[in-house]
Amino acid sequence: MNIRLMLLLGLCGLLLTLSLQTFAAEDNYQFETPQQRMLFLDLTAELRCPMCQNQNIADSDAMIAHDMRRKVAQLLKQGYSREQVIDYMKDRYGDFVYYQPPVTAATVWLWALPVIFVLFAALVIARRKSQPPLVDEAERLAKADKLLEKE
Amino acid sequence: MKKLGLFILPLGLFMLIAVFLYQGLYSNPRERQSMVLDNPVPDFSLPDLMAPQTTYTPDVFNGQVTLLNVWGVWCVTCAVELPYLTSLREQGVRIVGLYYDQDLDPDFGDKTLSEVQQEVTDMLSDLGNPYQFNIYDVYRDLSLDLGVTGAPETFLIDHNGVVRVHHIGDLNSRVWRSKFAPMYQQLSSDIQVGMP
Repeated sequence: MNIRLMLLLGLCGLLLTLSLQTFAAEDNYQFETPQQRMLFLDLTAELRCPMCQNQNIADSDAMIAHDMRRKVAQLLKQGYSREQVIDYMKDRYGDFVYYQPPVTAATVWLWALPVIFVLFAALVIARRKSQPPLVDEAERLAKADKLLEKE
Repeated sequence: MKKLGLFILPLGLFMLIAVFLYQGLYSNPRERQSMVLDNPVPDFSLPDLMAPQTTYTPDVFNGQVTLLNVWGVWCVTCAVELPYLTSLREQGVRIVGLYYDQDLDPDFGDKTLSEVQQEVTDMLSDLGNPYQFNIYDVYRDLSLDLGVTGAPETFLIDHNGVVRVHHIGDLNSRVWRSKFAPMYQQLSSDIQVGMP
C-alpha cells in the first residue's frame, strides 16, 4: 500500500513538473489581459511549425518555432486579432502553417468525398432492398424441394 | 454487363489509389510553397555583422543578380556548403550572407556579438569565404518575412530585387545546375542586353 502511494505521488510530481515546464516556455511573454494570453495559447497550438513535421509551434523547440511564438506575442500586443495573426503567418509560410486547411478546388474533396461515399452507399442499399427476390433463387428453392421430395 | 461493372469498378479504384500512392513515394514532404517567390524582397534595415555601424536596406540588391544565403556558425549543413559557395564566388557569382543565429538573440541569446564575429572569422578562414558581406538579422524578422524555416536556405534575387528562386537546404553542384543556373544565366544575359 505504501509503495503504491509513493508511486502515485511520484507520478503526480512528475506530471506536475512536466506541465510546469511546458508553461514555463510560454510564461516569458507578459500579456495585458488574460484574454490575450488565452488567444496566444490558442494560436500557438493551432499554428504549425514549418520546419518540423506535425508539431505546433507551442510544442516545438525548433528555432523557427521560438521566433514564431515571439512574433505571435508581439502581434497580439500590437492589437492584432486572431484572424490577422493567422493571415500574417499565412502570408509568409503559406496555408501549411495553419492546421485548418482552406476550402479550395484541391481540398474540397476532403469534405465532399465522405458525403459522396455515404450517398452512394445509401443508393446501393436502397436499390438492393427495392429489388424483388432473384428469380433463379426461387428456381433453386424449387429444385431443392424436389430433391427433398424424392428422398 | 453487371459482372463487367463489378470487375471494372474495383480495378479502377485500385488503379486510382495506386497512382496516388505512387506519386507519394517520390514527393518531398519537406517541400513548401514559397510565398516570397516572384515578389520583391521585403523591406528591412539591418546592420552588417562585422561592422554594425553599416546599415543595409533592400537597395543592396539593385542592379546585380545576387544569391542571398541564410546561414550561421551553429549550422552544420552551412559549413558543408561553404566550400561550394566559395567556388561559386570565384566564378563571379555575387553572394550575400543573411546571418541567422539564435545564440546571438537580444532576448534569449547567450553569446556576445564579438564572440560570434570571432567564430565567423575563424570558420570562413577555415572553409572559404563566399560572402561579399553579411547582413545581421538581429531578431530574424527578415528571415520570417522571407519565409525562412531554418538554415541553410538560399534565394536567387534579380537585379530589381525580386526573389526568383527559393531553395530550402544546402546548395551543391547538382542543385545549382538544376535549380539556379538556368535562371542565373538568363538574368545575367538580360542585364547584358540592358533589359529592365
